[in-house]
Amino acid sequence: MTNLELGLFSLPVLLVLIFLRMPIGLAMLSVGLAGTTVAMGGALVVLAQLKGQVYTTFSNYSLSIVPLFLLMGQFATLGGMSQALFKAIEAFLGHRKGGVAMASVGACAGFGAICGSSLATAATMGQVALPELKRYGYSGGLSTATLAAGGTLGILIPPSVVLVIYAILTEQNIAKLFVAAFVPGLLAAIGYVVVIRLIIAVSPGNSSGRERLPWRQRLLALSRVWPVILVFALVVGGIYFGWFTPTEAAAIGCAGTGLIALFTGGLTGSALADALMKTAQSTAMIFLIVLGAGFYNAFLALTHVPQEISFFVVGLEVSAWTILIVILGIYLIFGCVMDSLSMILLTVPIFFPIISTLDFGLTVEETALWFGILVLIVVEVGLITPPVGMNLFVICAMDDSTQITQTYRYILPFVASDIIRTAILVTFPALTLGLLRLIY
Amino acid sequence: MGRGAGFVHRVVTGLARALALMGGAVLIGLVLSTTASIIGRSLNTVGHLGALSNLGGLAQLLQSFGPINGDYELVEAGVAIAVFAFLPWCQLNRAHAVVDVFTAFLGPRFNAVLALIWEVLLTAILFLVTWRISIATLEKFRYGETTFLLQMPIWWPYAICTIIAGIAAFVGLYVIWGRVKDLLSDNRPHD
Repeated sequence: MTNLELGLFSLPVLLVLIFLRMPIGLAMLSVGLAGTTVAMGGALVVLAQLKGQVYTTFSNYSLSIVPLFLLMGQFATLGGMSQALFKAIEAFLGHRKGGVAMASVGACAGFGAICGSSLATAATMGQVALPELKRYGYSGGLSTATLAAGGTLGILIPPSVVLVIYAILTEQNIAKLFVAAFVPGLLAAIGYVVVIRLIIAVSPGNSSGRERLPWRQRLLALSRVWPVILVFALVVGGIYFGWFTPTEAAAIGCAGTGLIALFTGGLTGSALADALMKTAQSTAMIFLIVLGAGFYNAFLALTHVPQEISFFVVGLEVSAWTILIVILGIYLIFGCVMDSLSMILLTVPIFFPIISTLDFGLTVEETALWFGILVLIVVEVGLITPPVGMNLFVICAMDDSTQITQTYRYILPFVASDIIRTAILVTFPALTLGLLRLIY
Repeated sequence: MGRGAGFVHRVVTGLARALALMGGAVLIGLVLSTTASIIGRSLNTVGHLGALSNLGGLAQLLQSFGPINGDYELVEAGVAIAVFAFLPWCQLNRAHAVVDVFTAFLGPRFNAVLALIWEVLLTAILFLVTWRISIATLEKFRYGETTFLLQMPIWWPYAICTIIAGIAAFVGLYVIWGRVKDLLSDNRPHD
C-alpha cells in the first residue's frame, strides 16, 4: 500500500470509528497516530510528535480564545444579560403577531454577540424565552424550533469559536472573518423573523395575546441592555479596529461580563464554580477534537491526500461554482450527523486547498474569507437538521411537554431559510465581503 | 457511576473537580493579567498623546504605566495547564463529542462494549502522552530553555502538565472501571 492509498483508506476507517460512537477527537487522534506509524514504518516519528505537539496545541495563543469566549458566555448568563436582552426586544415586538417568537430570535442574535457558541446561546435563551413563549400561547413545536434556530446565531454573529478555528486552520485574519460574518448573521436573523411571520400566518394555533407597551416602559427595558452593548462594542469593536488581539479582546470581555455579573449579584461563589466547571467541560471537549485533528491532518499531509484530491478535482474541468456547491452539499449532509467543529477540523484541510485554487473572481484572501462564512453557515444548519441537530436536543431537553417530532416539523421552514440564505450568499459574494472592503 | 460507589468515587470525582476548578482559577488569572496589561498599555499610549504634553505631571504619570512584560507567554503556559486540568472532568462526565445516530439500534450491550473499548483507548493515549511529555520536561530542563521575554524556564509548565496528565490518566482508569460496571450490570450507559 502506498502512502497515498493509506491516506485515502484512512478516511472511511475514521468515519466508521466515529459512527461507532468513538469520541470524535479520539478517533482522529488514534487514526492519525496509527496512520503515521504505518506510513513511517515505525513509531519514532509519532513518539517525537507526542512529546511536543500536545503541549504546543494546548498552549496555542490563538486557541486560548476558546476557553475565554466560553467563560464569557457563562458570565453573561450569570449577569442576567440574556434576560435583559429578551425583555428589551420583547418590549418592542411583543404585541405584534408572532412578536414574542421574533423577540426570541432577536435576543439570540444579541446574545450571540457576546457568546461564541451555538449550544450555549440556545441553552441560555431557551431558559429565558421558553416559559414566555408558552405563556403567550405559542405551540411547543414553534417555541422549541424558534430557539433552536435562534441558537445558531450564537456562532454566526461574532465572536465565534468555530470561526477562530477556521482562521487558525487556513491562516486567515480572525478580525476580518468576524467582519465578514456580520452581515450574513444579520440576514440569518431577518430570515428567521420572516419564517416566524409565515408560520403564524398559516397556523392559527399560535397567537400573541399581549397589549402594546407604552414607550416609557420600552425605553426602560432598553436601558437595561447597555452592559451587553458595551461588552460587544469593546470586544468586537476592539477586534475590528485592531485595538487588541482577539485573545486580549476575549479576556476583556470576560472581565467585563464578570464584573457585570458581580454587580448584579449573579456571581456568587457556587455560581462561579458552576460556570468554571461548565467552561472546563466544553473546553476539554473542544481541545480533544482540535488535538486529534492536528494529528490526523499531519498524517494526511504526510500522505499527500489533500494535494492529490485537490489536483484531481481541479483536473475534472468542471466549473468552480459546481465544485463549491458540491462541497457545501457535502457539509449539509454530514452536518445532519456530525458536530460543526469536528466537521470543520476534518474537512477544511482537504477542501480549502481545492477552493483556494479556484477562480471566483475574488482575491485569494477574499475567497478564503467568503468560503469560511459559507462553511460556517452550512455546518450550522447541521445543528438544527433532524435527526441529530444538537440545538434541537438542547432545547427539547428543557421542554418536557413538547415531543421532538413536533420540533422537527416546525424546524423545517427554518432550515429552508438557511438554505435560501446560503444560495443568496453564494450568488452574491459582495454581501459577505462588502463590509470588509469598506473597513479595510 | 453506580450508587454507593463510595470512597474511590468520592476521591476521583473530588480530584477531577478540584483540577477543573484550579484550571478555571488559572483562566481567571489570565483574564486579570491580560486585562491589566491592556489597561497599562492604553494608559501609556494616552500618556504619549501630544495633547497632554503641557500637562507634564499627568503625562509622566500615565507614561509610567505599561503592558505586563511577556503577557503572551503567561497566556500560553496558563492555557496549556488549564486545558490539561480540564480533561479529567470531561472524561469523567463522559462529555466528549460523539456521533450517536448509527449505534442507537445496536442494543445496549454492544454499545457498552464499544464504550469500554474507546475508554481504554483514550486512557492508554493519556498514559502515552504523560510518558512523552515527561520526557519533554526532562529535555527542556536539561537544555535550560526559557521563554523569550520572561526568561521563564519552559520546563515549569511542562512539569505541571506532566503531573496533571498523569492524574488524568488515572482518572481514566476509574472511568474504565465505570464502563466495566455498566457492562456487567447490563444497563445502558447513561450519557
